[in-house]
Amino acid sequence: MAELTAAQHELATLIVESLNLEAVDPAKIDPDAPLFGGELGLDSIDALEIALAVSKRYGFQLRSDHPDNQHIFASLRNLSAHIEQHRVDA
Amino acid sequence: MSTPTHWRQHGEGGGRFALWLIRTLALHGGRRFGRLLLYPVTLYFFLRRGAERRASRQYLARVFGHPPGVWPMLRQFHAYAATTLDRIFLLAHGERGFRVEIEGLAELERRIGEGRGVLLVGSHQGSFEALRALSARRPDVPLRVVLDKGKTPAMTELLEALAPDVGAAVIDAAQGGAHVVLAAAEACSRSAMVALLADRAGEHEAQRAVAFLGTPAPLPVGPWLLANALQVPVLLCFGLYLGGNRYRLVFEPFAERVTIPRNKRGPALDALLTRYAQRLEHYVRVAPYNWFNFHDFWQQAAAERATPPSHRCGAD
Repeated sequence: MAELTAAQHELATLIVESLNLEAVDPAKIDPDAPLFGGELGLDSIDALEIALAVSKRYGFQLRSDHPDNQHIFASLRNLSAHIEQHRVDA
Repeated sequence: MSTPTHWRQHGEGGGRFALWLIRTLALHGGRRFGRLLLYPVTLYFFLRRGAERRASRQYLARVFGHPPGVWPMLRQFHAYAATTLDRIFLLAHGERGFRVEIEGLAELERRIGEGRGVLLVGSHQGSFEALRALSARRPDVPLRVVLDKGKTPAMTELLEALAPDVGAAVIDAAQGGAHVVLAAAEACSRSAMVALLADRAGEHEAQRAVAFLGTPAPLPVGPWLLANALQVPVLLCFGLYLGGNRYRLVFEPFAERVTIPRNKRGPALDALLTRYAQRLEHYVRVAPYNWFNFHDFWQQAAAERATPPSHRCGAD
């Protein structure tokens, strides 16, 4: 399993906190594992809570009409890469 | 002997040519003419569609407590054909020529007035298209319907040709749960109504079995997780077909908001699904021939194997 980058770790922590995943250690999330329907116990519907937390933290909206949404939400690695590309708080 | 059928494996009834033919004949010949065609059409599908016939027999036996004769089954097939034909008229001309009674409108309007958006949860009972009538009466409140466009390409094409604005307002479930929930939340933030049918699961969607007409039936959990994510008022919505040109559109408050604690998802979902199934059952009693799930709804074949549907649910 790959080591998390700083950005991935920050996002993993945000997800764990905003979704109250008490039993999950953010450092132990596999960046390439499916975000939904996998070991995290997340459903794709949880994308809304993730999107809300992301917009608060990183200052940009994940929108429903983005053509690459299925790719973006596929894994922690993809979501983190998308955020690093678009974040406006830095 | 019944073969197990998932509704997704069923071909779309008729296909493009049949729908084009029906549409052309209906819109040029009028509804009265179209309705005459329903008799041979009903008989044709009744004779040709074995799986649907078995599903109808299974359903009606549970409703009436004894195996049905041919007549009730034909009535159910005919009601389905009649409402399918009416969809064309409702889409093309709105409620003109129909008598649509609306029950629970004040309840709905009060919640629309709160401005947070509204989630309307329906079923494959009667005609969801009757909801368009309401939409025409309240053009200020946008209506977005969650549908899987890939499942019924011919019907989708027809819909988009007849009513492009309606087609554009569809939230396509084929694009995945993340798309659906984000689009629904964006709609609610504009005080819109979001509508979906909650009695059939998507291909990989988690289901849980709850009692329905006396036997556990698997129902999808997605709609309720969506309600939990949106935190908007939820109303049940039924467009019952009463025969002739009459429909009754019913809005029934279900919850001011749905809350599903993550660590108690299983019990919370079961409680919601049980209440939903009880309301479906109520409307089955009110309008038994309005039931338009022509597949093995109880998934008996699957239940007889070792794994009941609730066990492949990741939502505990």
